[in-house]
Amino acid sequence: MPFNSIPAKDFVNRERELSYLRLLADFRDRAVADNILLQGARGIGKTELLKQFYRTLFWEKEKVLPFYYSFRRATMKASSFAKDYLTSFVRQYLASIKKNPSFIENRSIPLARLMPIISSLRLDWMITLIEDFHAILKSGDTVEQILGAISAPVTAAREQGIRVIVMLDDFPVAAHLYETNPGDAPGLIGLFVEAMNASVCPHILTGSPQGVLESIFVDSAFRGKAERMFIKALPEDAAQALFSSLCEKLRVHDDREASPAFLRFLGGNPLYIRNMAKALWKMNKKETSEKDLWECYGFEVSEGETAFYWSSVLGEFFGDTVQVRVAVQLLMHLVKSGSGLHDFPQVSRALGIPEFSLRLAFDGLKIAGMVVSGAADAEQLRDGVLKDFILGSYMREVEGKSPDRVRELIAEKHYPAGDAGACFEITIPMIPDAELVVARAFEQIGKKINMEPEVIKKIQLVLIESCINAFEHSGSYEKKVSIRIALFPKRLEITTESPGKFFDPESAQETPLEEKLHAEDKRGWGLSLMRKIMDEVRVERIGDNTRVILIKNITSDEVSK
Amino acid sequence: MDFAVTSKTVGDTAVIYPHGYLNNIAGESLVKECNSYIEKGITKMVLNFGGLEFINSIGISLLLSVIERLNGSGGTLCFTDISSYHETFEMLGLTKYMLIFRNEEDALAHLGRTSGK
Repeated sequence: MPFNSIPAKDFVNRERELSYLRLLADFRDRAVADNILLQGARGIGKTELLKQFYRTLFWEKEKVLPFYYSFRRATMKASSFAKDYLTSFVRQYLASIKKNPSFIENRSIPLARLMPIISSLRLDWMITLIEDFHAILKSGDTVEQILGAISAPVTAAREQGIRVIVMLDDFPVAAHLYETNPGDAPGLIGLFVEAMNASVCPHILTGSPQGVLESIFVDSAFRGKAERMFIKALPEDAAQALFSSLCEKLRVHDDREASPAFLRFLGGNPLYIRNMAKALWKMNKKETSEKDLWECYGFEVSEGETAFYWSSVLGEFFGDTVQVRVAVQLLMHLVKSGSGLHDFPQVSRALGIPEFSLRLAFDGLKIAGMVVSGAADAEQLRDGVLKDFILGSYMREVEGKSPDRVRELIAEKHYPAGDAGACFEITIPMIPDAELVVARAFEQIGKKINMEPEVIKKIQLVLIESCINAFEHSGSYEKKVSIRIALFPKRLEITTESPGKFFDPESAQETPLEEKLHAEDKRGWGLSLMRKIMDEVRVERIGDNTRVILIKNITSDEVSK
Repeated sequence: MDFAVTSKTVGDTAVIYPHGYLNNIAGESLVKECNSYIEKGITKMVLNFGGLEFINSIGISLLLSVIERLNGSGGTLCFTDISSYHETFEMLGLTKYMLIFRNEEDALAHLGRTSGK
């Protein structure tokens, strides 16, 4: 949807690129090539630049019509693509000459119902074009169908004596157009060459990663048909200015001491910068301390709009959640290994994914431009935010971590809350009294931070309960419990993790003491004890493991001065 | 960890000393020790927690059994030296069923006064 864009005043630091694109709309200026390849990493602002340009042409220019089309996996079948392309063009054409965006926005009106409007505008050539297209559809000739659709802007320009600027977003996806089954008609993308040869119809093409788009223009009939324009990351000062201005609008005080390093991590990507500012507002942050920034980042990259953006990219190229999961596993493997994927059988065994599914995921990622000829794209892999999104998706989809935990872990990766403290990890066997090893260890830990003896005793009780709870609930052959005790300046976090059956603390009902006193079974104090002593008790399912997280905020009267 | 229950009688009162880790096995021993006194007709007891190092929830539930048993037989159970566990017992609401004294002497004095009445 070309009108789904940010306000022009918030679209900063792209003035030069916009001015250059405007030259395409000028009949007399021959300084610019007829076609432009807009290159840059995903999220860097290529689509936004197209939309801003579209809006300018739509409202401000006479004799120049914009046409925006975004390639999608759902319409990769040649006949579907041809219909979608032509319909989009007709709608946008009518919207432009009537200066009425509702023709574009209301996609439910079929082409047939637009015919009276086309007639009333005396666009006879368009009626002929649509009728011819329907005749071709009946013939079943897919090449003719595609040609019929993509020649529409050229026909319009010639018939009306205007220029039609064709903006093809995610153009490399067109390399995967097919007739009946994926891969059965390589080369259909070459049909666009003819339309691009028409000087009345300049094309602006985008694609990520840049290598894929470029290869189309080096290795095929497109050679020499376009010039390249790189959309780069915002420089540091522009990134800071954008972030500060957004924060100001959202009434978040931007601490300029804290944000530069954070903005550098975002790589000057305007999409990320905007999303982060919004995340601060959504999380009700009033300032941008380093801690606040990374806390919000943890949310943004795991559940926020940035996560949604990358999930949409994956969702666009993978049909269902199972395929997305495989794709996430594969991406994680590529990120971790830092090398390509050349030995499918070996990786299939290592990841426990059938080779067929792995190849399917790999092909999908190639179409999405996230991997290039075997390796995860180097340009994308420099994107720390994308890597964190992959990590977050992996923790959630594959490891089964809760969204909260994923958010915390990503935030802690960048801003370890335990900077001033320490972390102790112990693994104990499930044998009688092994829990006392942990309890005794905590005595030393508690003393180290001057914790009052009574408080140490209570935490020891919690540790003992947590361990014996794991002993009792584990149905696994692996008779081990891992305990992690993390000390933060004002917080203690105990995590016990063990394989075996999950228990839902919500389903555990607490019996009142009066009843318990006279009951046959007087047990069932463990969870109640943990809840009463600790400030937070969470139980999570991590793959086949159960993780119990116990958090205690340490108050000043619980430690001696 | 070894658990031991030792005990002595002071007049008509049994003073019981649990040592070490009060868990399921140890708790059973404690219950057994208390029951043996009840069976002998001694219904005044002092549980001295001074030697108790650790306790778990199963130990607490067995403690509840002792409280119930003595209450049911009209006896009196006093607890001493529980400072390390007092707050926990209070959190769980157990203290309203416990007669708590700072030390054994105070508990015995109380029980002596009671028997004199």
